[in-house]
Amino acid sequence: MLNEADNLADIFRGGLPYFLIITLPILIICSPCLASEFEVMAMTKYDVNGENFGSRSSVISLEAKSLYTWNTGRHCVLARLLDISLNDFNRIRQKAGGLIIMLPDDVQTLSNEVKDQILMLEQQMLTQSIPIPVYFASFTKTLEHIINDITSTTIDNNTQDKTALGQLLLSVNANGYHITVDGQNSAANKNSKLASIQGEFVPNQYAMQKENTGDGNNLPLILITANLKTFGIINKYPLNADSAVLMALIEIFSKLHTTLSTTPKYRLGFFLSDSGLLLNFQGSKKWLEIDDNLAIQNVEFVLCLDTITQSLTSNQPNVLYMHVSKPPKEKTSISNYFKLLKSIAGRNSANLTVEGVHKKINLADSKLSWEHERFSMKRFPAFTLSSARNPTSPLRTTMFKDKESHIVEQLVTSVKNIAESLACYMYKIDPLSDIFKGHAAITEDNILPYLGIKAILQNNDIKDGFEKYLKNVKVFYDKPDEREPDFMFYNGINPKLNIYRVKPAIFDLFLTFAISLYLVGIYFAIQFFPKLYGLISTSTNISIRCFIKPSPNVLKRK
Amino acid sequence: MTLYHFGNCVALLLPYYFTYKYSGLSEYGAFWKCVQAGCIYIFTQLCKMLVLATFFYSDSSTNSGEFNFFAEILRCSVDVADLLGFALILSRIPGKGHSKLITAGLGWATAEVILSRGIMLWVGARGTEFSWIYIQKCLESNVLLVQHLSTATLIWLFTRHDLNKALKPLVSILLAVTIFKGVWLEGLLHILSIGPWTAIAVKALVAAIIGFCSLNIYACLAQQIGI
Repeated sequence: MLNEADNLADIFRGGLPYFLIITLPILIICSPCLASEFEVMAMTKYDVNGENFGSRSSVISLEAKSLYTWNTGRHCVLARLLDISLNDFNRIRQKAGGLIIMLPDDVQTLSNEVKDQILMLEQQMLTQSIPIPVYFASFTKTLEHIINDITSTTIDNNTQDKTALGQLLLSVNANGYHITVDGQNSAANKNSKLASIQGEFVPNQYAMQKENTGDGNNLPLILITANLKTFGIINKYPLNADSAVLMALIEIFSKLHTTLSTTPKYRLGFFLSDSGLLLNFQGSKKWLEIDDNLAIQNVEFVLCLDTITQSLTSNQPNVLYMHVSKPPKEKTSISNYFKLLKSIAGRNSANLTVEGVHKKINLADSKLSWEHERFSMKRFPAFTLSSARNPTSPLRTTMFKDKESHIVEQLVTSVKNIAESLACYMYKIDPLSDIFKGHAAITEDNILPYLGIKAILQNNDIKDGFEKYLKNVKVFYDKPDEREPDFMFYNGINPKLNIYRVKPAIFDLFLTFAISLYLVGIYFAIQFFPKLYGLISTSTNISIRCFIKPSPNVLKRK
Repeated sequence: MTLYHFGNCVALLLPYYFTYKYSGLSEYGAFWKCVQAGCIYIFTQLCKMLVLATFFYSDSSTNSGEFNFFAEILRCSVDVADLLGFALILSRIPGKGHSKLITAGLGWATAEVILSRGIMLWVGARGTEFSWIYIQKCLESNVLLVQHLSTATLIWLFTRHDLNKALKPLVSILLAVTIFKGVWLEGLLHILSIGPWTAIAVKALVAAIIGFCSLNIYACLAQQIGI
């Protein structure tokens, strides 16, 4: 067939269409290659008590605009976290089509004001339902460049008044970016469950028999509780300092409980749940609702740990707050413990003070402020130890963390204070003497192994730790109700963010115009070529005639 | 960017068609000869690949940004096979006068464009992402067309016995310059860190100079033997 073809057109008359039938699908399957691809983290999405929180949608395919130029719902805002103010965010939340935030490179190096601003924004985002898709990208040079690009072109546009031609040229020259995130709309996870774990020290049986107090269950109970934060603004594990303190306390007091001579006259119980402030302390709620729960009988007091260490230091005073729902009366267990803690904290570190904060439970509020309120509502004497004064402090839910060394240093002091005050309380010791010294001294080694724990269900780490030291270890699972779920999580995978550099349609028209000019030029050049050849032929003829034996140099000069 | 952008890029390859149409090849019905030349191009490239894969150490770990002088020389020395391929085309494909050379050069260049740029254009220029590289590559193909036409001429001159003895070394030098263009031109562009647009202009200039020299020599010989 090809042999007879004298021209391009002849081929198409033959069997070539059949080949095309085979090759065209292959060509179509060869999909266009992808552009700049970034890993992004989707903002969390969860429901508590029928209220929606977090970003409620996930698909973006929009034009990227900077913080200063977006104006419709067809724009996706691409900005640095540091540049976004609360007002900006509220406007974007209501009107824009999507939001992609680049996290700063290093949060620790920022100034305190900026840190505060970030924390405020983070809290603002966490406490409301956001109808637009929101994604977080970690800091990369490429993304930084793109953000600079979209920001700078707008500044040029605004500052200069241009003629129509100038505007046209500018729009031809402008770089546009198209953003796509192919996240599927995440479905509610019907199997979402919250785990909580309990355990207690059972006093040495020999000690019990000696004193004829029967079995250990009659002893007054001191309960220590903490929450594990399993998510923040993104689906990552924030710093879980409280649970690290709890685990460290278990380890420290296990030594005292196993020794016959130091068996206390108290039961020490521990309770750790996967649900913190964001989930309205669902774990402790369910745990308290369990009927005939032997673990909570004859309660001396409940000590809740919440944000015992600030994960991101800002210029806040070094104070440990003791939050209660009603002011403790004199001679009650809580006021005794408060005095002990105050004197011990004052002795251990000079600049640390302990302050009591009283806040009534607001039953009209759908969300509780502190975990001890759950226990107080059940008439258990309870209080929370926290470094945050205000229940609405953004530090309680932040994802950002400081250097580990700094955190550990603070944690050692906290553990020391709590452990010593508890020991003083249980053994009725004078708070002025050192209790944990020598081989029992509290150091970083007590805390460091526990800083990495993430969730109760993960790797069974916590369960193994509880079972190693404690008795009556039980894990509870809380599943959302089918009809009226108390809480709901959503399945989500972190999708890929693609940013394509695009040009406006006018650019392609312009390009076509330029190319046709070029082609016309080439056309005339080819038409002119025979003339050029003739010219060269005559000139070489002359040179051949002039020099019988022309040297290459002569030719070259031509 | 879009199919329209792909169309733009393809439009930049139209000079190939112009060359075919207005050089008189279409009147000779030389289409099939061009296809044959293209087949010989494919054959040559396959041989080259075999040699490269068998005898040359390819270090895939080196960054694409760096210019490895020694490796480039080795690679270019294999490009001598290109000259053999041209010689094969010229000896096998019958043709008369100018059209023979244009057939060889055009067939070779077209096959190269389709095989080495086709997939890239189809996959890349049609994609959402805009990049100047596709327009640049298409412009560069135009330069390569001139380049291959002059190479074909030089090879033809090299194989002629009736070429003036004084011109023989010049033809050899020009051939060597063409072959090792990958080393000296790319190296120079890399050292001077010239941008892609200027690089294309420099390449076009070099191709024009080589083409002009070969045209001169060819005109001289053509006058002598009377075609």
